[in-house]
Amino acid sequence: MAKQLVVDPKKCVACRTCELVCSFKHNEEFNPRLSNVSVFHYEEAAITVPIMCMQCDEASCAAICPTGALKRNAEGVITHDANKCIVCKMCVNACPLGNVSYSVAKKKIFKCDLCDGETWCAVHCPTGAISVVDPDEVPDKKQLAADKLKAAVEEVCA
Amino acid sequence: MLVKFFATYRQIAGCKSCDVEAPQDVLALMGVLSERWPEFRNLILNRDGTDKGDDVIIMVNGRHIEHLDGVATQLTEEDYVAITPLVAGG
Amino acid sequence: MTRGNGWIGTILRVNLTEGTIKKEPLNMQDAQDYVGARGLGTKYYCNEVDPKVDPLSPENKLIFMTGPLTGTAACSSGRYEVVSKSPLTGIIGAANSGGHFGPELKYAGYDGIIFEGKAEKPVYLNIDDEKVELLDATELWGQGVHPVTEALEAKHGKVHVATIGTPGERGMLYATVMNDKNRAAGRGGMGAVMGSKNLKAVVVRGTGGVKVARPEGFMREATKARTMLREHPVTGAGLAALGTEVLVNIVNEVGGLPLRNGRDGSYWDKADDTSGERLVETHLIKNQGCFGCTIACGRVTKIEGRGELDGFGEGPEYEAGWSYGAACGVNDIGAIVKANFICNEQGMDPITLGSTVACAMELFEMGAIPESDIGFPLRFGDAMAMVKLTQMCADGEGFGNIIGLGSYRLAEKYGHPELSMSVKKQEMPAYDGRAIQGIGLEYATSNRGGCHVRGYMISPEVLGIPIKMDPLVTEGKGALLKTFQDLTALCDSTGICLFTTFGIGLPEIAGQYREAVGSDETDEEILLKGERIWNLEKRFNIEAGVEKDTLPPRLLREALPSGPAKGKVSELQTMLADYYEARNWTSDGIPTQEKLDELSLTY
Repeated sequence: MAKQLVVDPKKCVACRTCELVCSFKHNEEFNPRLSNVSVFHYEEAAITVPIMCMQCDEASCAAICPTGALKRNAEGVITHDANKCIVCKMCVNACPLGNVSYSVAKKKIFKCDLCDGETWCAVHCPTGAISVVDPDEVPDKKQLAADKLKAAVEEVCA
Repeated sequence: MLVKFFATYRQIAGCKSCDVEAPQDVLALMGVLSERWPEFRNLILNRDGTDKGDDVIIMVNGRHIEHLDGVATQLTEEDYVAITPLVAGG
Repeated sequence: MTRGNGWIGTILRVNLTEGTIKKEPLNMQDAQDYVGARGLGTKYYCNEVDPKVDPLSPENKLIFMTGPLTGTAACSSGRYEVVSKSPLTGIIGAANSGGHFGPELKYAGYDGIIFEGKAEKPVYLNIDDEKVELLDATELWGQGVHPVTEALEAKHGKVHVATIGTPGERGMLYATVMNDKNRAAGRGGMGAVMGSKNLKAVVVRGTGGVKVARPEGFMREATKARTMLREHPVTGAGLAALGTEVLVNIVNEVGGLPLRNGRDGSYWDKADDTSGERLVETHLIKNQGCFGCTIACGRVTKIEGRGELDGFGEGPEYEAGWSYGAACGVNDIGAIVKANFICNEQGMDPITLGSTVACAMELFEMGAIPESDIGFPLRFGDAMAMVKLTQMCADGEGFGNIIGLGSYRLAEKYGHPELSMSVKKQEMPAYDGRAIQGIGLEYATSNRGGCHVRGYMISPEVLGIPIKMDPLVTEGKGALLKTFQDLTALCDSTGICLFTTFGIGLPEIAGQYREAVGSDETDEEILLKGERIWNLEKRFNIEAGVEKDTLPPRLLREALPSGPAKGKVSELQTMLADYYEARNWTSDGIPTQEKLDELSLTY
């Protein structure tokens, strides 16, 4: 089962370090336009959200790929094989989250591969806004809600 | 004597300042504060409790204790002390 | 285009008179000798412009320059420098800014831009990778920084914008260049120079990248530096939580927070009302970082429930918090936040503006400025008068235009030049040189006039970083300041933020620089470039006709009335002698030929 990147917008400070290190890891150049993670800043709300591939179980990008360039590997990551890719860009259209990209300059498709397990965006994020977890370990939101309720009840009873 | 807290130390103390009976010196005062707010212990004192911690600034009457007698700086009721974590600005 | 070793290799030369745009190769020899950004921008400027030039004439040039680390994963690498001769001081003006604009310029394929001449009508430069064009800005002229930025984003899409407000258009002497809305190339009036050229904005969109010479070594050095910053209490937690304004209480505690134009000493019983702690309680929404920054000291702030004061924006930083706070005797933090918003929205330097209002308050209270000149009473502590005057200055209305001249010209006009808290006509920032001796020496010797970010002596004298020095003594200050100034010149020139130096030092700055540009120079050889930059700036200033290194008479003669530094004046002469000796300059503060030869500096 693939590791899962988890985003906490409350912690994101809009510095775009993730974009820098991601582009460098995959292209050996610092270029946010070639990053698999993109940071969106909502000025009025003072909220910033990093967006990246979720390694969908039902991956449209892989399903639509006519040459098998996009395939799930043994670790569960949807990887992109440039040798098989004909750059038809069907995957770019198919991904409902916009997480498969096409570079005009490089004439190539790129998407998140979790850095072969190294997940640079999470490792280098200064605030912990991006972290990598085992899907089984993603904090259960029901549990968190229950924790809060318990605390509230304790306070009232005390 | 008056003890003032700055920056995140205010959250630990839950106040901007407090009055304490003046102990003999700064080291003794750090002990008093650590007893009252145990969270201070590892911040304002070094590991064996013999000197101040690395990341704390302590001033007596506006003078850094490094330029007085360090933690041996004597205190009286008329003195005032400020303690702050290491911060900076520009 | 040779994208590699931290550089793109291309400079844009824009002649606004002719309307021509040229792409030329970066002068790699100068880039090597003067590092980048502040140093390289100044070198280009000195090569091309007569030091006697009128700063607001078409003969002057305006340079935007990035550094070799700008836009890379080096720590806090979002910086660029705007360089020209300052209309406020008449000496070199180099102003540094963060945000996202600098990196985007490199991604578009340019290390810097040199603007020459003057456009016939208002224009803006639009850079979209290879496509670079001058477009009509008639519609934008007369508008503030935020509406202009929004209009250009609406028109050009995902771009980054550097622009001026209406004060810059009018040549207001300390107008700033603002990028990404609230980030300022703040001091010395670079915005006025831009306005004098009828250049309203620079818009940039870049899809290219920046490469470094030794990728593996570079990531190792950058990761090391970033980790140190994250683990350091100041850069890892303090600045993010409480911002720069957290210094208010601490500086006040040592008796170094200049109160009411310095008239009433440097200790204020109301300082806490204007502190970083207070800002968090009252106006802070969240903290925010510039490009690639682990520190994230920026303040996103909001004013609500204050009627006409209501607003949304960023800041204030410690300096503006003081200039509108203690300097004006105003402890209404909402009014301080508002005055700072106005500065951001219209592109004005809040240090100079707040200090000039403070100077006007003192002149008014002593009867030197008649109320009829201002239109209303202007007493210390009057928050609404302060905000009103700031708005009038932004709008070029009435007495606001006199405030727009800066405190030196204001005080001179009313017969009391000694009451301007400025050095070389630029206002000193928020630390009193009587209570903190070394920072006074920095103000006196800074190459751009009264300024704290050329050699931040507060670090050793108040915070104990990297060594603890007694703020009241003079010994050792000259030599340490020299090293700080050289290191700062280096840091600014690489393209990373000066705030990184709270957590990292020369080995980490030099380490990242070496791996990016592919150099095998030692730390000392790299620091020597900082010293070369400092001496180049000094040489330019001498040719431009710089005034001597001194402080306002208040700091030299009026002893502090209270606080821990009670009875102190600045012992400048003692420190100056040590400083000149450390610099190997003459006793008059002139670089010796021996020093210039050592630095291979010809100018």
